[in-house]
Amino acid sequence: MKVLVVDDFATMRKIIKNVLKQIDIETVTEAENGKQALEILKNEKVDLIISDWIMPEMTGIEFLKACKEDENIRKIPFIMVTAEAQKSSVIEAIKSGADNYIVKPFTPEKLREAIEKARAKVVQGLGG
Amino acid sequence: MDVKYMNPFIIAAQVVFKTMLGIEVKMGKPILKQSKQTSGDITGIMGLAGDQRGTLCVSLRKEGALHVYNTLMGDRCNEINEDVIDAIGELTNIISGQARKEFEKSNINLKAAIPMVVVGKDVETNFITTLPIVSLPFYFSVNGGNEEVMYLDFSFEY
Repeated sequence: MKVLVVDDFATMRKIIKNVLKQIDIETVTEAENGKQALEILKNEKVDLIISDWIMPEMTGIEFLKACKEDENIRKIPFIMVTAEAQKSSVIEAIKSGADNYIVKPFTPEKLREAIEKARAKVVQGLGG
Repeated sequence: MDVKYMNPFIIAAQVVFKTMLGIEVKMGKPILKQSKQTSGDITGIMGLAGDQRGTLCVSLRKEGALHVYNTLMGDRCNEINEDVIDAIGELTNIISGQARKEFEKSNINLKAAIPMVVVGKDVETNFITTLPIVSLPFYFSVNGGNEEVMYLDFSFEY
């Protein structure tokens, strides 16, 4: 299983990678914003996307909408991990097609649970 | 200062430290600052917009910032480097997000920008608002006893 982690802060990318490692997912590719992430998706097969919201160049919500409009990548499970905790943000992300929404600060268990759910979906052939 | 402007930041500091770092912080007496200089050695700065315009600064002394970074990443870093700067930027982002969630409960909707981080003591910051700046100190223990402090400095236009 290959995971694309998108966040403009290296700190958060490392934290997410550490959680992924704990559940034996070591194939991770990284991007600093939505634009970079879309480029990666053109060339690499990814099974799960974990993305921040507020990023330069292309925000997470713009990236999510772009993913859902693209026939080739729209089925990849998408987890939004963000400091944007306001109700309107959660609703916008879910309406735009996010499979899960995790608010920072989060415990590793919370992220692990969301990833496990997404992984089960991939294994069942519902994603990717 | 109306407590409705202070409480979201108090809750945010406590929740973020407890959830991400497993650290309990103790709030000290709020201070009204008459200068725009940073309170610590490393400071994350974020503009706030929406229903109100304001500025938030998350400022720590070197030892406090290193403790936050090392606890968060399980590292043993002794100097402020790019990784520590990045972590303080993300800490600012997360505290701002948690505070904005609390503001929403008072029907104040705020939007945030991408934070920037400055390193150095007494750096003059460009608060978009007028003085005074409210400074909330949060104390926490590092390395088995020494006390460190994180300042949340903020001001809003009224």
